[in-house]
Amino acid sequence: MSFRLDQVSLTHANGFVALRGISLAASPGERIAVIGPSGAGKTTLLRLLGAALRPSAGKLSMLGVDPWALSERELRKLRARIGVVHQAPPLPQRQRVVTAVLAGRLGQWPLWKSLASLVYPLDIAGAREVLARLEVGDRLFDRCDRLSGGQLQRVSLARTLYQRPDLILADEPVSALDPTLARQAVRTLLADAGARGATLVASLHAIDLALSEFPRIVGIRDGCIAFDLPAAEVSEPLLRELYAAECPGSAALPTLANTPHFDARPVDVPGASPGACC
Amino acid sequence: MAEAVALHDPAARQRGTALLLGLAVLWPLLVVADFRPGEIFEIRNLKTVGAFLAGFLPPETGAEFLAYLVRATLETLAIATAGMALAFLLALPLVSLSTRALAAAEIGPGPGYARAQFLHYGLRALLTVLRGIPELVWALLFVRVFGLGPAAGVLALALGYGGMLTKVYSEILESGDTRPARAILEAGGGRLQALFYGLLPGAARELTSYTVYRWECAVRASVVMGFVGAGGLGQLMDQAMKMLNGGEASTILLTFLLLVLAADALSHFLRQQVGAAGTVGRKAGFGVSACAIAGLVLLAVVSSFGALDIHFGALLMRESMGLIGDFAVSFFPPDLSLPWLSRVAYGTLETLAISATGTLLAVLGGFVLAFPASGRYGRLAGQFSRFLLNALRSIPELVWATLTVLSVGLGPFAGVLALALHTTGVLGRLFAETLQNAPPAARDALVDAGARPVVAFLYGTLPEVMPQLLAYTLYRWEMNIRMAAILGFVGAGGLGQLLYFELSLFRYAEACTVIAAMLLLSIVVDAASSEVRRRLR
Repeated sequence: MSFRLDQVSLTHANGFVALRGISLAASPGERIAVIGPSGAGKTTLLRLLGAALRPSAGKLSMLGVDPWALSERELRKLRARIGVVHQAPPLPQRQRVVTAVLAGRLGQWPLWKSLASLVYPLDIAGAREVLARLEVGDRLFDRCDRLSGGQLQRVSLARTLYQRPDLILADEPVSALDPTLARQAVRTLLADAGARGATLVASLHAIDLALSEFPRIVGIRDGCIAFDLPAAEVSEPLLRELYAAECPGSAALPTLANTPHFDARPVDVPGASPGACC
Repeated sequence: MAEAVALHDPAARQRGTALLLGLAVLWPLLVVADFRPGEIFEIRNLKTVGAFLAGFLPPETGAEFLAYLVRATLETLAIATAGMALAFLLALPLVSLSTRALAAAEIGPGPGYARAQFLHYGLRALLTVLRGIPELVWALLFVRVFGLGPAAGVLALALGYGGMLTKVYSEILESGDTRPARAILEAGGGRLQALFYGLLPGAARELTSYTVYRWECAVRASVVMGFVGAGGLGQLMDQAMKMLNGGEASTILLTFLLLVLAADALSHFLRQQVGAAGTVGRKAGFGVSACAIAGLVLLAVVSSFGALDIHFGALLMRESMGLIGDFAVSFFPPDLSLPWLSRVAYGTLETLAISATGTLLAVLGGFVLAFPASGRYGRLAGQFSRFLLNALRSIPELVWATLTVLSVGLGPFAGVLALALHTTGVLGRLFAETLQNAPPAARDALVDAGARPVVAFLYGTLPEVMPQLLAYTLYRWEMNIRMAAILGFVGAGGLGQLLYFELSLFRYAEACTVIAAMLLLSIVVDAASSEVRRRLR
């Protein structure tokens, strides 16, 4: 098992119930798309899987262990095997792209190597290779604040590719990219996971992208799992019901073509993603 | 496409060069600053300091001494308040004359443009001189004219702070929206009308806040000016130190600490009030509390002048004016002989070296203390380190210098230590604030990917806060250069030591050269720092 959630619930400190009684499991190498309206709990679910949030109830096992029963050192080792692609790329404005990408392996590098790499980047070839896969190889030595939102999001993806994690958690990883680039970037991510046998869980706003690229689709609504089906079995009525609250009576479901792109520069507004179709 | 990018870091050569250059500059500075950290721990020095510090306990609490202490404390407060009041009176006309946004001749340019330009630049030059000569030097000079006592302190504050207030007031006025003032000028209004109706409404809050902050600085400055005989707590401290009376010194130091913290708190409170004014009340304008505060300020000023009992009439008599004139004339022409110039040049270099080394040590110390102070290692460590930083900060550099001179002997190294101790307090607090306010996303993401906290800080937080830390450091270094120029008054090297020596031998022509060097240094630092600030932006 890559991960297993058993009746997991999560209540935020302000009393908001983000997830209720979620049960979900994935075997190594599975590729899962999580879809659902804004505020349904997609981000919370991914943060839970990334051991960044502690569940309020239920059992959780990541890569065979319960992260919250581990020692500090073991937890760090576990986290080094989980790669997270954040919705707003968490890259310091004044850091160079090469350093930002190499930072993906800080959990695996010994201390001396992490420090030395600040003075002189120690794996320029490696950073260049992952950036080239996302077609931003030419920005290797640029500073992050010189990049566009779309380039920044691809650098953030490149960092996760460089990390080579066993479990990739991607939260709206292509929200700042145009449809062609978005599809390309998702395929790069899928190919990387496939080649290494890693598990990939991605939350996506664009349904068509999810259905066409991912074999397994999990629909989330109001903190519960609405459905968990192979992509071929996800029907249009099912989708309409999933998004019913977000676009009552509206005809269009969120797709690549009509998803408004928003700037993926780091901002402190977690709920910044605009409603997909309302 | 990717093939176009080289496999070596293009910035490496530049970084290496910068590092080597930095070391090449730093090394001689350390030598000039006489940096010998081993000196602190030498048995002989430790014994001297130990014996002196042992005398600190118990603090002197005799009734007679306490009466002196209370009087000196009140005198210090009165000097600061009266000096600020005079500085404010001096600044008012200078601001309205030197602020460009208030000059009708700038429109067009219209008639009288040349005269307005002349006035503008002439006043700016005068202000540069007023500001560029440290208030402690003004105090030292005034003590020679008016004798020991608070009059010299008040006048020194008036001149130095008058120049400072004018510059900052003008900057505040011109950084805001100047269009209302322009509209009034275009409608035929005069300077004062444009000031009161066009600029003040937008800038009043910031101006008041800055004035209160300056008063807080004036309290610290008036403590220090006592060391050159301008009355107040400093004079008392100077006497205690000269007689190596540890008990008295510790009582006075505690009073310093309380006074500075109280002034700090009062200034913070008042500035908060100013900041909140108009946002909570229903009406803008003068309410009851504003009138009460204005009345209290006026009362404080009047009673300060009353308490100090300075006979300004007598100062302005023809006889004393003549004396002042003679005294001023005796400084000219300055001694420009080659040997003296080279000694002054070395003094300037020494001043720079003291400031650079002291600031660098303070950056290290401040950085180390900022981590616990920002609350990373629990509440207890946080409170303790914040208290330590406050204590370091509230003792002025010059007072630290009197202590470090005892520890490592006369000379520049004592100045380095004094600057380092005080600046550690200042920078540590600023660094801690910066760390607390740093955006956490980048660091948290690295921790979630399994990075060690130290490494996550270096990769995630440091790049975000670096510009701020650098800006604080440069700003403090700039202040420390000015401070290093006067630390010599208590024997801690640099230009100040030269000046103090020459003045006590009545060699005014030589002293004039030193003052000119201080002025020049201040102008150069001013220009350099505004240039650096412009580039960092």
